[in-house]
Amino acid sequence: MKKLNDLEYLKLSKFKAFLYNVKLFFCSIPGWFVKLGLSIWALIKNCAFVIRDEFADIGRTFIKGNWAVKLSFLIFGLGNLYYGQIMRGILFLLFEIAFIVYMFIIPDGGLHDIKLAHLFQNGKTIGDKAGGYGVDPNDKYGAEIWLEGDESTRVLLWALIAVIFIIAFIYTWRLQVKQCRICMDITASGKKIKSGKDDLKSLLDDQFHKTLLTPSIIGITAFTIIPTVFMMIIAFTNFDAAHDGYGTLYSWVGFENFKELTNFGQGGMGAAFSSILGWNLIWAVFATFSNYFLGMMVAIMINKKGIKIKKFWRTVLVMTIAIPQFVSLLYVSKLFAADGILGRLFLNWNLIPQSMLDAYQRGFWENPTTAKILLIVINIWIGIPYVMLMATGILMNIPQDLYESARVDGASGVQQFTKITLPYMLFVTGPYLLTSFVGNLNNFNVIYLLSGGGPPNTSISYAGGVDIGHTDLLITWLFKMTAESASSQYYMASVIGILMFLVVSILSLIVYNVIPSTKNEEDFG
Amino acid sequence: MASVKLTNVKKIYGKNTLAVDNFNLDIADKEFIVFVGPSGCGKSTTLRMIAGLEDISGGTVEIDGVVVNDLQPRDRDIAMVFQNYALYPHLSVFENMAFSLRLKKVPQDEVYKRVTEAAEILGITEYLTRKPRALSGGQRQRVAIGRAMVRDSKVFLMDEPLSNLDAKLRNQMRAEIILLRKKIDTTFIYVTHDQTEAMTLGDRIVIMKDGLIQQVGTPTEVFDMPCNLFVAEFIGAPKMNTFKTELLLENGKYYVTPFGAKIEVTGDKAKGLAEKRVGTREIVLGVRPEHFVLSKQGDPCAISCQILVNEMMGSELHLHVLVGDNEKIIVRIPTVSLTDEQRRSLVQGTTIYVTFEGKVMHFFDEESQTNLLV
Amino acid sequence: MKNEKSTIKKSSIGAKTSRTVANTIIYIVLVVMTVVWMFPFFGIVLESFEVGTKAMDSNLWPIEFGFDNYIRLFTETKFLKWFGNTAFMGVFTALFQTFFILSMSYTLSRLRFKGRKGLMNMMLIMGMFPGFLTLILIKKVFWDLGLTDDMAPVGLIIVYCASSGMGYYVSKGFFDTISKSLDEAARVDGATRWQVFYKVIMPLSKPIVIYTILMGFMAPWGDFMMAKYIINGDPNGMNVAVMMQTWLSKNLLNDNYTMFCAAAVIVAVPVTAVFLALQKYYVEGVTGGAVKG
Repeated sequence: MKKLNDLEYLKLSKFKAFLYNVKLFFCSIPGWFVKLGLSIWALIKNCAFVIRDEFADIGRTFIKGNWAVKLSFLIFGLGNLYYGQIMRGILFLLFEIAFIVYMFIIPDGGLHDIKLAHLFQNGKTIGDKAGGYGVDPNDKYGAEIWLEGDESTRVLLWALIAVIFIIAFIYTWRLQVKQCRICMDITASGKKIKSGKDDLKSLLDDQFHKTLLTPSIIGITAFTIIPTVFMMIIAFTNFDAAHDGYGTLYSWVGFENFKELTNFGQGGMGAAFSSILGWNLIWAVFATFSNYFLGMMVAIMINKKGIKIKKFWRTVLVMTIAIPQFVSLLYVSKLFAADGILGRLFLNWNLIPQSMLDAYQRGFWENPTTAKILLIVINIWIGIPYVMLMATGILMNIPQDLYESARVDGASGVQQFTKITLPYMLFVTGPYLLTSFVGNLNNFNVIYLLSGGGPPNTSISYAGGVDIGHTDLLITWLFKMTAESASSQYYMASVIGILMFLVVSILSLIVYNVIPSTKNEEDFG
Repeated sequence: MASVKLTNVKKIYGKNTLAVDNFNLDIADKEFIVFVGPSGCGKSTTLRMIAGLEDISGGTVEIDGVVVNDLQPRDRDIAMVFQNYALYPHLSVFENMAFSLRLKKVPQDEVYKRVTEAAEILGITEYLTRKPRALSGGQRQRVAIGRAMVRDSKVFLMDEPLSNLDAKLRNQMRAEIILLRKKIDTTFIYVTHDQTEAMTLGDRIVIMKDGLIQQVGTPTEVFDMPCNLFVAEFIGAPKMNTFKTELLLENGKYYVTPFGAKIEVTGDKAKGLAEKRVGTREIVLGVRPEHFVLSKQGDPCAISCQILVNEMMGSELHLHVLVGDNEKIIVRIPTVSLTDEQRRSLVQGTTIYVTFEGKVMHFFDEESQTNLLV
Repeated sequence: MKNEKSTIKKSSIGAKTSRTVANTIIYIVLVVMTVVWMFPFFGIVLESFEVGTKAMDSNLWPIEFGFDNYIRLFTETKFLKWFGNTAFMGVFTALFQTFFILSMSYTLSRLRFKGRKGLMNMMLIMGMFPGFLTLILIKKVFWDLGLTDDMAPVGLIIVYCASSGMGYYVSKGFFDTISKSLDEAARVDGATRWQVFYKVIMPLSKPIVIYTILMGFMAPWGDFMMAKYIINGDPNGMNVAVMMQTWLSKNLLNDNYTMFCAAAVIVAVPVTAVFLALQKYYVEGVTGGAVKG
């Protein structure tokens, strides 16, 4: 489409300008992907250059280095020791020894684990021999006992750790070779090489970030990165209750699980996923924006000049944040149940048909439409206080002279809101809207504690081995699949997890490209 | 008290954004050096490299003969005053000033002595127990200077210390810094974008643009003999008028011919041109506004021009006038030199005649922008 | 001319009345909101004093007032244990989370080092993968280490805290607002980075430290998903949320409804008190976090 220049754009009427912007938005979508592709390509190219430079540097170090440097290509830390960096040298050496001992020397070491896991070999099991009941070889009467075998989960985890260890080994090798080169350079220029004492001191100074980050990095690696990679790998296995990796080993199935997603038949994964995703997105949009606008309204009302006891109104709302969410959610959920107070009230007033309240005593929660509406309404009840607090802070930051000049220009109260307050808020809270949207996509508590996902949706139920309801989100589906179902289809949960990851990242990418605060940070400065 | 030497200093941000390049400067012990230039010229970056707050991408910085490239700021024995004062909000004025001494574990008696001495000089003794937020801008500035003073360090760095103050206070503090300098006898490096500050404070001025040094010299040198058009226009306010014209060499005498007038070059300038063996050629001529004088119609040296705006500044008039082909120049005329009648006649639209003496002009090459006499 | 004048006068009278009307409407809306927002809490408190197991009926007001539910809570159930578990988790989560979050956010905000951008991107991407899934592996490992079931509180503290550095956004936003020249001034004054951290930045960061502690303390009270998975239904390892939810299941509802209300009151009172006391810091965090992202 034709791009207009500034003056041509200014000529357009308001409506045409809007149409133009919408068109521009959709036309720019391919551009993002091109940009994404280009940046990936640039990344690959960059990597290639970096690798080339690294190898060149390694080669140079080897050629120029003395005997100690040359030997340290095999024996870690020798170069450091030669140049007097005793502490570093010993640490490197210890690392190498630990690696060799762990990988090759101890029985069932790292190499053994990697072999045992048969990484990504389709059809092969993870681990060779499952545990099971058998004849006790040490018992002369041949009693039946449980014979320990391989445990798939354990084997896979240790294999993963071994692979990480190997990567760390390569990295450390490169690091110590590089340090040899740096030592060579420093000696050549006649300066003093850092001693171990300097190293320790610098941990509180120019290397302070290492000290501060180490605990966090260890925590994140152990409890997020390794488990996440592990669970992504599970998508390529058949890990479930029937193949629990204990009595029955699970095995590699390649892309078999992803093929399941193309099943759009009754109870098929594809049908279930798309249907749940649809509601999930609707939910996230409504939950985010209803809270956002209503919360902002409330903030404006409370902050309006002439309104008294502002603090009281605010505290009333803040109470809902203070009280643990599960308490209020569970209680409110029961209020709307068939024999809940509000349920009965509505019934007595003949506001709702008797039939709706009877089934399973779940009242409002029994009908998909009322359940969904109720969820959004209750979520407003939960969410308004947060937005109100946030908006209050931001409203106070809007320069008052903007309003004064608008009033002089003849803007009414509503116009002041749409022309100043709203654009300002949207601008400043762009990042909040994104995080809040992602948070609502995965809003487990509200859905699970209020409706529990119900009422049941028969057309897609039993996908993934669980009862799926009309109000289930992907995250509650996932929870039911792993924590509450008898068949525990972990492999499918993993596939869904990967898809959710894709959905969130694509949405974030789009939103990031649309919201203004990420682009022109100074506009309202 | 130390000399500072910068050799081929270079700063590259990211992959290839060159912020400072080829910076060579010898700063003598106890000298007051001012880095001046428009924003983004690399003056602050250079100062921060000397302070150790930025890595040095190339070249060396020496303080007292020691290369300090790899030293942490705290090992360089420097004091620094920041543009936004950077006072520690949670500490009292006394503790703010004592901060560095506390880190060095100086005994309390000594801390007390040094802080109160500095406070005395700066006139902030009565605020010593206050928190910075209870001070005015000027007082905060004094605290920031005081914090640097108690250090007794080798080099005193100041990064645009006056730019957050209002015009009146700025003039006052400028004078105080000149006085202060006599009391703190050390090497100063001062960064500013304001040429007035640079001219009044500096023993020598370093004028920078786009990361490169344009000229280094005393205030008189850079004012009288700017080495290129940029320096010529940057130093002096209002800025120097420049226009393209022709330099004529006739019978061993030089003339310039701006807007139909013909003015002879005299004095050192004429000698200089002769020494450089300059012939008849196109040049860019520079004349400072204050060097114009009123003239009469019919004078061969007179340039006819039309008044566009008359700015009455009190002691002088700034006349923005149109000459030749709609070119604008500024003429600055002391009010005392005018008769009442003349003053009344200088209104918008009036045609007036101005000229200038032969010894005050500057000649630049249009292409290289350099001064023909340098 | 005359005409114009009169319209000005007219609208200026109108402005005053319309303001009164607007304010009245706002007061009405606010009062209605107060009722709606407070209703569940009064409901819970009232029903907790009902004598006997009333289940649910249409009357909110107890037929007979009494402390039966509270007595039952402490004599017939292990409520004290569950409450203690949750409080224990709250205190230690607050402690460790604050450590992890502050060190991460301070580093990312104030220090520049190689790989900083990469680290932030990595955490952003990792955060997009549903964290709950990783519990499948973590639970297996914890099972082997004996950190589930009755030891679940310890395991849960580790789960809540270990990766909490990834939630650095709000406090990084706060640190970003502290002028960098303070660090620089301190470093020129002779401070190491460590001294800058604890002598200059930490004293200025009281609001965000309290906010982080508050958030850490509140987390275990509200967590349901992870807790339920790790606890595995063991009554000794329960936190209040998971236990109280089971009381409201279809079969137990009639017996336990009023006891649920009593437990809810006991849980809500201390948490609400702490929260309201530190409200100021919470508001600062919410506002700053939203703006800074």
